[in-house]
Amino acid sequence: MKDKLKPYILLSPVLLIIALVFLSGIIMAIVQSFGYFRVAGLNEFTLRYYREVLGSDSFLSSLSFSLYTSLVSSIVAVIFGVLLANTIAKYKNGNNVIKYLYGIPIIVPHIVSVLLVYNILSNTGVLPRILYGIGIINSASEFPSLLYDENGIGIIITYLWKEIPFVAFTTYTVLARISDEFLEVASDLGATNKQAFFHVTLPLLMPSILSSFIIIFAFSFGAYEVPLLLGPTKPKALAVQAFIEYSNPVLENRPYAMVINVIITFISFILASIYYRLFQKIHKY
Amino acid sequence: MRDKNQYKRILAIFICFLIIPLGVLLIWSFSKNWSWPNVFPSKFGLRGWEYFFDSSSNSINILFFSICLSLVVTFFTLIITIPAAKALSFYEFKGKKIIELLIYAPIIVPPVAVAMGIHFQFIKIGLANTFIGVVLVHIIPCIPYSVRILKSVFELMGRNIEEEALDLGANRLQCYIYITLPLILPGVLSAGSIVFIVSFSQYFLTFLIGGGRVVTFSMLMFPFIQSGDRMIASVYSIVFIVTTVVVLFIVEKMTYKFYRDVKRWYL
Repeated sequence: MKDKLKPYILLSPVLLIIALVFLSGIIMAIVQSFGYFRVAGLNEFTLRYYREVLGSDSFLSSLSFSLYTSLVSSIVAVIFGVLLANTIAKYKNGNNVIKYLYGIPIIVPHIVSVLLVYNILSNTGVLPRILYGIGIINSASEFPSLLYDENGIGIIITYLWKEIPFVAFTTYTVLARISDEFLEVASDLGATNKQAFFHVTLPLLMPSILSSFIIIFAFSFGAYEVPLLLGPTKPKALAVQAFIEYSNPVLENRPYAMVINVIITFISFILASIYYRLFQKIHKY
Repeated sequence: MRDKNQYKRILAIFICFLIIPLGVLLIWSFSKNWSWPNVFPSKFGLRGWEYFFDSSSNSINILFFSICLSLVVTFFTLIITIPAAKALSFYEFKGKKIIELLIYAPIIVPPVAVAMGIHFQFIKIGLANTFIGVVLVHIIPCIPYSVRILKSVFELMGRNIEEEALDLGANRLQCYIYITLPLILPGVLSAGSIVFIVSFSQYFLTFLIGGGRVVTFSMLMFPFIQSGDRMIASVYSIVFIVTTVVVLFIVEKMTYKFYRDVKRWYL
């Protein structure tokens, strides 16, 4: 009996914190998103706020902007991350290379990587200065606006700077364990390097590729600082929009913020559960 | 042979992509006059650094306060996640899947949503705008990373060695101090470093739950980045990065020293 209880006792401190802060935070957000917020005099459960938010154009453009920046950055990060991991794996002392490459973006927080991108890509950044110096552009204003723009280039590059090494690291640990014998067998059987990569290496990497994709997608989809600092005034990223609604001094406005929060969480969860299903399928083979 | 060169080229491009922006950051922090369209500053100076070290900016105090806050977060996260990771790696029990889902969920659920959801409760029970409130909310995103690392450490260690010690007559405390702790310590240190980094880089959680009363280094740095003051922002960014590197360096030295001492025991 005592032994049966033991794992629960060991887990109780973590679960207590998760229940008190994390779970109740989510539950509060959900409850308020249905329009129940007693302090503001809202006592009824209603779908009104969902209907209003989902029907508004500004929300839909925020949603597509957030989806666009996080999907593009996550997909590109995965492709380049795998390419980088595969490149490093060909080296003898790849372990050292990956250790340092991975470390750099980890210790640099997102707000600093925003500054890195700003220093280089803003209208008076280093890149337009170089282009001016070699005569490609004639003034700062001729440089295309990559920041604060609807195309979200600045946001995407900021994420890429942090995420490519992250993907490279997670896939590299698996890649280093795939024995060379597999690849030798493949090439003995007449596979080219390319074929060996796509038919042997890639399928083995798939679980770690997918899991790192989910992690970086969910992060960028719900991120606040990066789109706040580098995003356009319109459309705003979902988290930024949610906080604007939240900081409205009129408390009756809170449900709108919570609806956006719940939708961000919901979409991230759907993606994670698709991953979970896929992973189980892959595991069967 | 051609292949090898190609790999080298790809790697070089990636390294430039990572390193060049940091080089620009360093140059900015030491620039005095760097106007358009100069590719390099025309004058170097220490104005940014003078501002940082000037006592009126209060930066050094905030830096130390921020380090302390993140160390407290690290300490409590480790205290609660070590037993949790042990339970998840050594026991099979009812509801394990759901519990694991809950523990890893903070990676998926955006902290922005959680913070806005819990803010009102924190105000009600007086945790908002306090040190403890900020520590509590920082622990949440740290939990999944810590559990993940510690779990793999426990799995590597296995269960048998603890049981053997108990069979040989060690009591639980002895077993923990002489067997478990030394074996998991390197893992604890690496989990601790990640947790420290996650907490030290938080902006939004501190901003909302701390309500401007609890000011961390990220919060101090944020307005300079927002206003595009490249010189000062670069100085603060470098201080941020160097602080993290120093903390990690100390942790690595501790691990190394520990390994050296342990080797004497086992070899």
